[in-house]
Amino acid sequence: MAATGKSALMVNIAVMEEKKQNKTQAIIEVIDSGPLKISGNIFLKDMQRGTEDFPKEVYLCRCGKSDNKPFCDGSHKKK
Amino acid sequence: MERNDSKFTGGKRYKNNDITVYWKPSACVHASYCYRELIEVFDPSRRPWIDMNGSDTDKIIEIVNLCPTDALTWKWNDEARNDAVGNDQVNHIKFRRPDLMETKEIIEEAEPVSVKIMVDGPIVLKGNFSIAYSDISKDVQDGIISICRCGESDHQPFCDGRHRKIGFNG
Repeated sequence: MAATGKSALMVNIAVMEEKKQNKTQAIIEVIDSGPLKISGNIFLKDMQRGTEDFPKEVYLCRCGKSDNKPFCDGSHKKK
Repeated sequence: MERNDSKFTGGKRYKNNDITVYWKPSACVHASYCYRELIEVFDPSRRPWIDMNGSDTDKIIEIVNLCPTDALTWKWNDEARNDAVGNDQVNHIKFRRPDLMETKEIIEEAEPVSVKIMVDGPIVLKGNFSIAYSDISKDVQDGIISICRCGESDHQPFCDGRHRKIGFNG
């Protein structure tokens, strides 16, 4: 039996719900000898500095030397 | 959250405080229920031809529902009400224009990946994400990963607790 408009819609909604729950929200890239690049749907909470943000893309320091923590400032390249 | 109105092309939108009426002229077959029943709102000789202040919301909904095509459709502005609309509301977008029911906020509405900068500690990632490091790439669903921030972990790129031993401050 063909689905009626309404039940087809219900199925659509169910599929959308499923996608909503399982879909990858962010891409995280560990750059070799560099920062952590994060892009997508992210909520950035800095417990140390008490800040919160929803940036689209961030580069986070992984070397511990940045003067602009938690962000990368290129210090990892300096010797 | 708002519906993905960007899918509505080739027509116009009219709003009052409660509802939005979509007008799609190409679908109109001039059955003329709208202006015969409620000229105060639907007046083809006026510009703009729909005046949402011409009557109350219930009456406008009633008349929009009389339209035999999807030339006139409507939705609640309070999005939470749209999913619950019953099928007696024949010209609600849920039944006439299900494409307009899709939300562009599916992604935004989904839980964002939590990126927590721990005090003098690692970056803690939580949620649904994909991660690439060295030559590895993997999808993580509803997972938690700690990434080293002090630069001294022996288990790079992950945290191994080393920041505590070296007295990392950052």
